[in-house]
Amino acid sequence: MNTAATALQHGHKAVALEEICSVRLGQAMFGVPITHILEIIGAARPQPVPLAPAYVGGLVHYRGDVLTTVSLRQLLDLPPREGPQAILVLESSGGCFGLLVDSVCEVLSVSSADHEPNPSILDQRRKALFAGAYKLKDSLLVMLDPERLDPMRLAAAQAA
Amino acid sequence: MDELTREFLIESQEGLDRMERCMTDLEGRPQDTALLAEIFRSVHTIKGTTGFLGFKRLEKLAHAGENLLGLLREGKLAADGPIITGLLQLLDGLRAILKSIETEASEGDGEDVVLIGRLEELQVPVQVPVAAQAKSPVRVRAGANSTQAPANDLQLPVHAVAAPPPARPAPTDPATLAPPAPEPVEAIPEPAAKAPVVPASPATLTDAAKPRAAAPVTGTAAESTLRVDVTLLNRMMNLVGELVLTRNQVLQATAADPNMTLLSRRLDMVTADLRESVMKARMQPVSNIFSKMPRIVRDLSQSLGRRVRLQVEGQDTELDKSLLEAIKDPLTHAVRNSLDHGIEPPDVRQAAGKDPEGVLKLRASHEGSHVVIEVSDDGAGIAVEKVRQKAIERGLITPERAAQLPERELLQLIFLPGLSTAAAVTNVSGRGVGMDVVRTNVEKIGGKVEIDSRAGKGTTLRLRIPLTLAIIPALIVRSLNQSFALPQGALSELVHVPPEQASAAIEWIEGAPLHRLRGKLLPLVFLDRLLMPGSSRKLAAEQDNFIAVLDAEGRRFGLVVDGLADPEEIVVKPLSAVLKDIGLYSGATVLGNADLALILDPAAIALKAGVVLSAEEESSRAVDGEEDEEAGKSLEYLLVEAAGRQAAVPLTDVLRIEQIPLSRIEYIGYRPVLNFEGQLLPVEDTGGVLAAAEGNAQAQIVVVVCREGNRHVGIAVSHVLDVAAGGDLFEAGTSQRTGGVTLLKQRVTGVVDLGGVPPLPVAENAQMEWNQVAEAMR
Repeated sequence: MNTAATALQHGHKAVALEEICSVRLGQAMFGVPITHILEIIGAARPQPVPLAPAYVGGLVHYRGDVLTTVSLRQLLDLPPREGPQAILVLESSGGCFGLLVDSVCEVLSVSSADHEPNPSILDQRRKALFAGAYKLKDSLLVMLDPERLDPMRLAAAQAA
Repeated sequence: MDELTREFLIESQEGLDRMERCMTDLEGRPQDTALLAEIFRSVHTIKGTTGFLGFKRLEKLAHAGENLLGLLREGKLAADGPIITGLLQLLDGLRAILKSIETEASEGDGEDVVLIGRLEELQVPVQVPVAAQAKSPVRVRAGANSTQAPANDLQLPVHAVAAPPPARPAPTDPATLAPPAPEPVEAIPEPAAKAPVVPASPATLTDAAKPRAAAPVTGTAAESTLRVDVTLLNRMMNLVGELVLTRNQVLQATAADPNMTLLSRRLDMVTADLRESVMKARMQPVSNIFSKMPRIVRDLSQSLGRRVRLQVEGQDTELDKSLLEAIKDPLTHAVRNSLDHGIEPPDVRQAAGKDPEGVLKLRASHEGSHVVIEVSDDGAGIAVEKVRQKAIERGLITPERAAQLPERELLQLIFLPGLSTAAAVTNVSGRGVGMDVVRTNVEKIGGKVEIDSRAGKGTTLRLRIPLTLAIIPALIVRSLNQSFALPQGALSELVHVPPEQASAAIEWIEGAPLHRLRGKLLPLVFLDRLLMPGSSRKLAAEQDNFIAVLDAEGRRFGLVVDGLADPEEIVVKPLSAVLKDIGLYSGATVLGNADLALILDPAAIALKAGVVLSAEEESSRAVDGEEDEEAGKSLEYLLVEAAGRQAAVPLTDVLRIEQIPLSRIEYIGYRPVLNFEGQLLPVEDTGGVLAAAEGNAQAQIVVVVCREGNRHVGIAVSHVLDVAAGGDLFEAGTSQRTGGVTLLKQRVTGVVDLGGVPPLPVAENAQMEWNQVAEAMR
């Protein structure tokens, strides 16, 4: 009955456990729903593409295809990192792409009841990339929205 | 749309395609009952299924067509011009309804009364004698198929309308089917009643076997084939590419371990086989597009008042499906051009002493890793003078330059946009947007277009298409510490500029780098500066530079790179739209060492760097492959050195220059051969290079791979020195040009006689050849 009560409180949202893969970028942690992750490639060195938009992190070889990657560091205005990086192969409605992060941490189970939307004071650029945050016991886990990280969407956003 | 309807649509389309192919053959062989039976079957199948699916309009139309075809098939009517036109209209009618079903899921409201009426009219024989005569040809029963019985049923009402010809034979006893028929063809009088057909059929089949053997038996092919979604094939191709890479890595990793050698060898073989099979699965015969041409030729020649006979050769030549799609338009365009500009109207032809009926030839054949498709006509040819005038008129070329150009090069001008020699714009062609589109489309898929024309004799357009898009030969170049792939198709030569020569070899006009290539200025593009505008490149004088001379869609320029790696057969992977939009890359590929490389698009680089398509440069495009004897212009030669002596090889015949270790040369008897890309290449060693290097295991030799007629031969040399234009030499006191020598860099140089390289033994008459070889050796 407890669950039913909470469901009522949150309107249509039923409380459900979601599995989130947490990734590290410098000091910060971000989360990506594991339902969107096809594969994690560790220790990758993407091939740079001259003249590509800045957010393109390069190309990697993934199961017979050449995958365009998006550099999260560049998107968040962090300095580029030397050495190998980890790549999350994400699936969006536009196809597959890779997301370059420093490292991949662990898979967390979070309750949808702990989810909060983006705060209104967040700058526009970040607002466009983040999909709210989960309140963890001792920190906040900022969620990334694979759809909004799709290189095509980023290109369209940049053009606008 | 439900599965059944979709299946029906696909099947019907295939049936109609088959019908179209047969129709045009039918024009040439109106008596061929096998063809008629095939056409009948296509229409009948459609009719049968439509009734089942409830497409009434389609059924009605197919029914009307079937009635007419039934009569034709049984020889009661002869397939003359009007009937064929009627049947083609039927084909169009059926196609239109199928299209409407496909797009709107309904047959549409139209009525086909006119067409049906026309088909019924045609069922009445125009002349009785024709009909009677037409009865004689062999009646073919297309196996024990189901179409037979309903066909005969249908005849009954028709007979009443069609007023059976008087000479109709009475129902014949099966015994009379035996040979003693008066006609030259093995004739089987048509049994009118259905009943005797059944016992007669075995006899009919054997009798009919001979003429039928010529016609392809299409029925059986369907049973051993399977329809596969192209996306699945693409995926398989991708996975195989992946496997190839994994294999390469496994081979590298296990090279040191003798236990693994056998296993990895086996993996290697299986992978290669698999790759080939998957590639083969994507292949389709060119007949898929050739078969559209007879109809186009027929319709156009009627509307233009030409008489044209279409000859098709090499229909079985196979090409990747996507390439086949890509050349459909250029080919159609070429055919239209031939009909409109090439082949003259019958009276003009007759006046010129030619057969009033023109010949348009479509020919497909393999040539190395290319498929060559030729469209040739025996029409008026291209008036070079007209091209010259038009080009000057349009400002595409200066009058002075035009006066200097030899005919062959002038002809190439017709590929420039805006040049048409047609006096008037017709709805067929003449707008001047044709040939450049043909060329652009063909070059887009890595092919080449060449044209050859003799005034009054005809024109030949040659499309050279790579076998497959997925795998292309490319040269790997280095720049910015990265590998890039340059498609070989656009690459015409490579120039090495060592640091000490850099200042002399690279000249500047106000910041524009140029290279003097055999006396002509070649604009240069530095790849690193192009890709990284801010980068401060090391001075050319501090490092080795390589100039890749590229020829992309008429734009000729040199791309300067830092280094060259090996040529490789690369698997082309598409790039995401974001990267495609950069416009410089046509794809990416994974190299043998598992590195990624971007594939450069030479045409886009030329555009980006501002290399213009000037007529001057355009006209200097050399057409490779043929020797130009008449023009009398100086040929270019590759100057080679073999064991201290210099010799010349005609540049047009040179395909590749390979540096190989001596150990790769193998011997058949006395003859040195090279296993080159899976083919055996006879190596000519008149210079004694092989002999000189013998015993030295580390020796490297250079093999110049040349084209000689239909074969390739290799010439063993020690070095390749240069490329230079050769001058003619005349024997003193005569004005006869001497053969076998040329004036190269003011020195008399012998020309290697490629034709003199004896052929390798051929399988069938190997013994004979061997004797010849032995004799030649003695």
